[in-house]
Amino acid sequence: MTLVLSRVTARFADEKKNSTPTLKDISFSLPTGSFMSIIGPSGAGKSTLMRVILGLMEPTSGEVVRNFSRPAMVFQNYALFPWLSALDNVAFGLRMDGAGAHERERVAREKLREVGLERFESHYPAALSGGQRQRVGLARALAISPDFLIMDEPFSNLDTITSEALKADLLKIWRTYGMTILMVNHLIPDAIELSDQILVMGAHPGRVEKTISVDLTRPRDTRTAPFFKQVDLLTEDIRRTVSPS
Amino acid sequence: MVHSIAHSQTRAWHHHHAERHRRAWVLMAGVVAVAAILIALGFFGMVTWSVLGNAIFHTTYRLVLAYAVALALGVTIALLVGWSPLGDYLFPIFDVLQNLPSFALIPLFIYFLGYTNQMIIFFAVSSIIWPILFAVLTAIKSAHNDLNDAATIFGARGWKRIPYYLAPLSYPAILTGSIVGIAIGWEAVIGAEIITNISGFGAFIKGADVTGISQGAIAGMLAILVIVFVVNRLVWAPLLAESAKRYAE
Repeated sequence: MTLVLSRVTARFADEKKNSTPTLKDISFSLPTGSFMSIIGPSGAGKSTLMRVILGLMEPTSGEVVRNFSRPAMVFQNYALFPWLSALDNVAFGLRMDGAGAHERERVAREKLREVGLERFESHYPAALSGGQRQRVGLARALAISPDFLIMDEPFSNLDTITSEALKADLLKIWRTYGMTILMVNHLIPDAIELSDQILVMGAHPGRVEKTISVDLTRPRDTRTAPFFKQVDLLTEDIRRTVSPS
Repeated sequence: MVHSIAHSQTRAWHHHHAERHRRAWVLMAGVVAVAAILIALGFFGMVTWSVLGNAIFHTTYRLVLAYAVALALGVTIALLVGWSPLGDYLFPIFDVLQNLPSFALIPLFIYFLGYTNQMIIFFAVSSIIWPILFAVLTAIKSAHNDLNDAATIFGARGWKRIPYYLAPLSYPAILTGSIVGIAIGWEAVIGAEIITNISGFGAFIKGADVTGISQGAIAGMLAILVIVFVVNRLVWAPLLAESAKRYAE
């Protein structure tokens, strides 16, 4: 298992002890090499959960077992460093690791080529479209050869065509590198298309409602009847779970 | 010009900024032309140009030196405070110190440093430093959480966080803080020169009385206006434009 959470509760520092925590009794495990999506309404604490998993925030109680050494993250709002070119953004993690300039540039160029942005290496983030920025964010994550990749709603700010292209690239990259991926997703069809498992969260407090296995064989054709049926069933299941009334 | 469909630096943007730049130079050329005509007509006949030039030189070099020291100190302190977990406790202390009226502290500076060049420079440092320090601290504290997290996840931790993340993050704030700081610096240097009367433009105009200001004072103010304008157009405007281009959302 890459990740195991056991009864994790998290509360922000300025929250009172007897108030509702942001996350309550979160327990789940993430098999190595698998792709898991997290779905939930606003206020479910999905982003907080990501931060707890990455160690950016300490849980108030519970245990987080991390069997990964090189985590990386792709952000909803890209989080590219505006003062660095696309190439330097991708090379940032390598630079912090102490890699030499030649090696950094070689790897960064290779990753930009993988995401189709080899012609934009000297562009700054302000000069890139949303889709291009997200690809740079993905290349930056891949450049450090992560064993665990977290993606926080990576397609939510992109148009449909760009999202479809990026999803296809992501699946190719996942198959190539075999890394474990945990993605916060706001679209059920995307979660079904991409994931082996879907974690459904409820809100106020953030909690795990259920874990659903997606049993469709890969590659998944999103235009087939079994896929649509699975989307319908899971959508209804998730809707009943999150809003039982 | 970068060629990208998403690039905000379109031809229209460049044309607009070039037009603004051109208008500023035309306006200043007009001011200089009017001054030249007045000189030719003998309006500034009473001015001893070498004395005035020397006075402005002293004021300017004190300001430049004070700015360099204030920049180094202000940025260093702000980066260290912004990086440190204790930063939130130091912010209110800086807030109080910054609100002390600077000229009310001049007797202290005179007591320790006398009526000297060093006194004027250190006094100016104590005024210039605050806009720079607060601009940088505010930029660090208001950085988007995602950017902070990205820096941490990709390895900008510990001491590395300062040169590889906090310093470049603060660059636009250093620029705007510097522009405000230097404006305050002119005031501080000239004010201290008026009080100490040792040299500089402040000492030069000290003789101005309520019946009117001397031709020398007017000539000096015009000269300082030209210096401020040229530095603004040749140094700050290009840096601000480049910063706006890179740091745009």
